[in-house]
Amino acid sequence: MIILETRGLKYTYPDGTVAVQDINIEIKKGKKVAFVGQNGSGKSTLFLLLNGTLKPNQGEVLFHGFPFKYDSKSLRDIRKSVGIVFQNSDDQIFAPTVYQDVAFGPANLGYSKERVDTCAQQALEYVGLSRLKDKPPHHLSGGQKKRVAIAGIMAMEPEVIILDEPLSNLDPVGADEIMDLLNEFNQFGSTIIISTHDVDLAYRWSDYVFLLSNSKVIGQGTPADVFKDPELLKKTGLRQPTTLEIYHEIERRGLAYGGNSPKTIPELVNTLKPLDLMWVDVPPRVREGDNLNLGVMYGQYATQSPYEAINATVLHIHPDGRAIVELKRKGIKAGGVLIYDTDSYSLPEIKQILKEGEIVFVGAMGKKSKILAERDGVRLDVSSGVIDKSILMALCGKRCLILTAGGMVDHAFNRIKEYVETSGIEFTVGVANREEGCQWLEETEDIPETLKI
Amino acid sequence: MTNILDDYALMSPLRRRNNWLKLAIVLFGLLAGVSATSPIPPIFIAFCMSFATVALGRAPLKLYFKLLLAPMGFAITGVLIIAFFSGSGPELLSFEFLGYPLSVRIDGFELALLVFARSISGMCCLYFLALTTPMIELFAVLKASRLPESFIELSMLIYRYIFVFLDMALSIRYAQTVRLGYSSFSRSLRSLGMLGSTLFVRSWEQGDKLFLAMNSRCYDGKMTLFEVKRPVGAPELLLTSAYFLLTLALLYLTKNASIV
Repeated sequence: MIILETRGLKYTYPDGTVAVQDINIEIKKGKKVAFVGQNGSGKSTLFLLLNGTLKPNQGEVLFHGFPFKYDSKSLRDIRKSVGIVFQNSDDQIFAPTVYQDVAFGPANLGYSKERVDTCAQQALEYVGLSRLKDKPPHHLSGGQKKRVAIAGIMAMEPEVIILDEPLSNLDPVGADEIMDLLNEFNQFGSTIIISTHDVDLAYRWSDYVFLLSNSKVIGQGTPADVFKDPELLKKTGLRQPTTLEIYHEIERRGLAYGGNSPKTIPELVNTLKPLDLMWVDVPPRVREGDNLNLGVMYGQYATQSPYEAINATVLHIHPDGRAIVELKRKGIKAGGVLIYDTDSYSLPEIKQILKEGEIVFVGAMGKKSKILAERDGVRLDVSSGVIDKSILMALCGKRCLILTAGGMVDHAFNRIKEYVETSGIEFTVGVANREEGCQWLEETEDIPETLKI
Repeated sequence: MTNILDDYALMSPLRRRNNWLKLAIVLFGLLAGVSATSPIPPIFIAFCMSFATVALGRAPLKLYFKLLLAPMGFAITGVLIIAFFSGSGPELLSFEFLGYPLSVRIDGFELALLVFARSISGMCCLYFLALTTPMIELFAVLKASRLPESFIELSMLIYRYIFVFLDMALSIRYAQTVRLGYSSFSRSLRSLGMLGSTLFVRSWEQGDKLFLAMNSRCYDGKMTLFEVKRPVGAPELLLTSAYFLLTLALLYLTKNASIV
C-alpha cells in the first residue's frame, strides 16, 4: 500500500536555486526508506515538501492517494501524520525543559491534559529519557538531544517519521541506539524515511533506496540492486558500501561464492568459500570427483560448530589409496540465539537461563533493557550491533542471550530467523519467555560418530 | 563548558520544593532586613539564608563565598564612607591622614553597621533564590502572576536560545582566538565586532528555523505550560514558620537596642 507519493514535484527557492525537480516517487507503508545523496542534492528540501512545510511550484504530493491541500486544517492533519526530525536537534528543541518539548506536539493537537501527559511520558520512556524529563536541553549530550527530538515527534503518533541525517554528529553507540529505536518503530508499523550520505547505513538498514543527485532522483530500488551498479554510484558521487566492496574483492579472488549481496558481517562470512582440503583413506572403487559422506565430526575436526556433518568431494586419488578431498561442512549442533523479552522480566529466571542454557554471550538492545541489566548486575558482552555479533557467535557454536523488549523482540527474532533460512546454517533461535518455550533446553543430543582418518 | 548560576540551581535539591514557599521566604527576608533598626536581625537572616543555600541547597561553599565577595566589596567601600563622614556624638576613633583629621563617631558607626548588615542580608536572600530556583521553575510562577501569555512564551523561548547562542558565541570566539583574533587591542575590537554581527545574523536564521520547527509540530499560536505540582511538606512548613517567628522576635527585641 502506497502511503506517500509525489508526481512531477518541482521546487525552486526564491533566489532561483532549483532545489528539487521532476520527482516522482512512491513510498510504501511500513517500509524503511533511505534517500541517499551528496550534500546539497535536495534531500532536506524534499523532506520539507513531504511534510507540507514547503509548497511545491509544480506537481503534487499525495498522502494515502489524496493530494495535499495547503489550507491550515489539512496541513495540520498532514503534519500530525508525517512527523519530521531535523538534522540539528538544537533547531528542533525549543522548550525550556525536555518534558515541555515532548508535550508540545500533543498539546497542539488539542488533546486533554491527561492524554498529553500519557503521550509525552510514553514517548520519553520509549527513548529511555524519563529520568531526564525536568532537565533543560542544554544539559543533554548530542545523542540525548536527538532522542528528545525523536520523542517529540513520536508523541504525536505519526504514521510516517522522516529523519534528516539522523546519525550526524553521533558516536557509534549513540548511533546504534537511534537505529534500534527506528527499527522498533518500524516493527510497530510506522513508515520510516531517512536521508543520509552514509552508504553503509543505507545499504544495511533500508528496504528501499532512492539515489538523489543534482535535485533529481537518478536511481531507486532495493539496496542490493541499487548499490550493485558502480556506474550509478559514480554518477551520484557515492562509493560502494564497505561490506559489498570487501565481498567483491574476495569474490574476484575466488574465495567467496558469487552472486550474493551480503549486507551484514554474518552474511559476508556466510559467502566465504572455505578451501578445506584433507588427506583421507578412501575405499578402492572411489573415483575423482565423487562425493563421500564422512559422517559426523567433532572436537578438533569440527572447526565451525561442536558437531559437523561433513561431505567431501574427491579431488585427487593417490596411488597408495589415500585421496585429497575438499570438505563441505554443515554444523548440526551449532550454537543458538535466545531472545529474552524484558517486558516480563525476572532476575531469577534470567539467572536460571544463563546457567541451564550454557550461555556464554549476553547482549542487550534498547535503553530499557540496558538499564535493567546494569541495575541487576547482568554482565553484558555487547551493547551495540547486538544481532550481528550474536549471529557471529552462534556460528562459532556459542550460545547467546539477547535481552530486549517490545517491538525489538520480533525484529531481532525475524532478522536471525531470516539469516538461518537464507544461509542454510542451522542454529536454534527462540524467544525464552514466550508460549513456545525454549527449544534447546529440551533438545536431544545426537550421538556423534567418530571418523577414521 | 560554562557554569552559570542557573546550572547550580538546576542541581540543587531545593529545586523540587514549592516555588511559592521559596519566594515567600525571600520576600520576607528582604522586608524584615530592610525594616530592622539594629544590625542583629539582618545578620541572623543572612546566616539562616546562607545555611539554607549551602547546607540544604548543596551550593558549593567556595562558590558561595566567591559570589558574596563581589557585593561585599561595594558594601565595604560604602560603609567606610558612611562611618567616617556621617553621624554625631562621642568619637570612637580618630587619627590624622595626610594632615586631614579623620574620626569615627558612634552614630556613624552604628549606621554603617546597619547598612552593611542590611545589604548582606539582602544579598543572601537573593542568592538563596538564584541558587535554588532555576529559571524553568519560575515560568509557572510568572504564569500564575497573570503576566501576558505571549510574554511568558517569549521568555521561555529566549531562555532556551540564550544557551544555544552562548555556545555559538563561545565557539566563534574560540575560532577567532586560535587564529590570533585577540592578539592586540585593535584586533580584539575587530573580532568582537565580527562576533556580534555573526551572532545577529545567526539569530535571525535561527528564528526562521524555530518557526519551521514549531510549525511542523502543528503550532497554533499557543504554547502550553505544564506546571508541576509541588506540595509544601510539613517539615518545610515547620522550619519556615520557626524561622519567621524567630526573626520577628529578634526584630521586636532589638527595636531600641544599640551595639556600641
